[in-house]
Amino acid sequence: MTDLALLRVDGGVATLTLNRPEQHNALCIELLDALHERMSEVERLTDVRVLVVTGSGRSFCAGMDLKQVVIERSGDAGLALRLLSSLGELTLRVRRAAMVTVAQINGAAIGGGCGLTCVCDISVTHARAKLGFPEVDLGLCPAVVAPWVVRKVGAGMARKILLTGGLISPVEAQRMGLVNAVLDSPEALGAHAGELGERLASGGPRALAATKKLLNELDGSLDEALIRRGAELSASVLCSPEAQLILAERLDSSG
Amino acid sequence: MIRLETDGGVSVLTLDRPERRNALTPEMLDELIARIGQCAGARAVALVGAGSVFCAGFDLKRCADDPSGETLGALLRGLSRAIAALRGLDAPVVVGVHGGAIAGGAALLGAGDVVLAGRDTTIGYPVVKIGVSPAVSAPFLESSIAGMVRERLLDPDLIDGVRAHEIGLVHELVDEQTDVREIAISMARRLSEKPAGGMSATKRWVDEIHSAQSPLGERAPQRALDASLSIVGCDEERERLGAIWGKGAQG
Repeated sequence: MTDLALLRVDGGVATLTLNRPEQHNALCIELLDALHERMSEVERLTDVRVLVVTGSGRSFCAGMDLKQVVIERSGDAGLALRLLSSLGELTLRVRRAAMVTVAQINGAAIGGGCGLTCVCDISVTHARAKLGFPEVDLGLCPAVVAPWVVRKVGAGMARKILLTGGLISPVEAQRMGLVNAVLDSPEALGAHAGELGERLASGGPRALAATKKLLNELDGSLDEALIRRGAELSASVLCSPEAQLILAERLDSSG
Repeated sequence: MIRLETDGGVSVLTLDRPERRNALTPEMLDELIARIGQCAGARAVALVGAGSVFCAGFDLKRCADDPSGETLGALLRGLSRAIAALRGLDAPVVVGVHGGAIAGGAALLGAGDVVLAGRDTTIGYPVVKIGVSPAVSAPFLESSIAGMVRERLLDPDLIDGVRAHEIGLVHELVDEQTDVREIAISMARRLSEKPAGGMSATKRWVDEIHSAQSPLGERAPQRALDASLSIVGCDEERERLGAIWGKGAQG
């Protein structure tokens, strides 16, 4: 079995890569388990100041793996809550990391995938990446990632983004504060992320960690109960007949 | 004074007192609150204004004519309840503003999940100049534009739609003022076609997240209304409101 999440350490910069490219790095329970394992390794790293999160292949992360959350298909009504809870815990771990986190959005970042980018301190992408939160179009509630979107862009813009659904162009996403920089091409993004990582890694580790901790306290990032309630809410909407019907149709049409 | 039209799942609320530039009276706000109550089953709601401007704010002539301060108090209470009622709807609310959205009219932007405005729309809170505190709308605007709320409520300067878009008070710009109503309604129609369960859960959850992060939480709207009410009828307001009105300024 291939390794679903990769961790590479290069000097002061660690890179965590979602590695399920043939499924556009969609979040299945196995990928989330692998990410948790890698985060345990990240938490033991002492000389690393920057954590870059990215995806292998053409996408960053297409969001939840629909095959695991359509009950008719998975045969397991509890899987949705386990998956969403695992995603929620992962977001908390990434947020608590003492190093500066950078989402290098190499391609599509949709739904939970786009939410994962909002957990990172800084997010950078390129002009051809597809971003957005189409959950409401599918009858879903993006409750696990909503707190991170609110912290990134404020409640007002979060309402607009999450309630109108659909996709957002990278330029529009930058205007709304959803991403910090948009490069012209994937190649330019790679170069930019490399330079950004080096620059961030030049900071003093204690200064960076103290600043991050304060920022997390200021915006309520350490409120674990909120994320757990979000997982329960998201799972209950996901398991509703309305959402299950739409998702099953979506799965059938995509084969 | 308030028109409610329902077409399928879309309810359109129109401020309809164009001869007074939709200036708000206590009766008009009562009617708005009643009409919002009738939108309970809607899948999406649009709030727009008839005539040349969306809303010029409170009808200050009525306030100036009532030295007891009861009219101004009723307006502040009505505005707070109207915005809270729109925020309390399960369905998403689209606010479309054209021409001008001044003071109480600008406050109504805080009720929108999605806010559209014409590029040349005049938006702002000149009310501190007349001795009135816009505190009543602070919680709603704070949740929409965060730190920028301080400048917007304390600086009586007016801004245009383009600047409002830059600071996130407006989400989408419309080139022609005359197109705002139609575009707001078609946006509401698009939102009404999305599944209702996920939509309402998402709307309520964002409010809950914001409330969890705010020290005053759900008490904020009442506290804000009390702050505005606390200076109603004071000498400063009576003098300034009278002077402005006497000079022929319109509210």
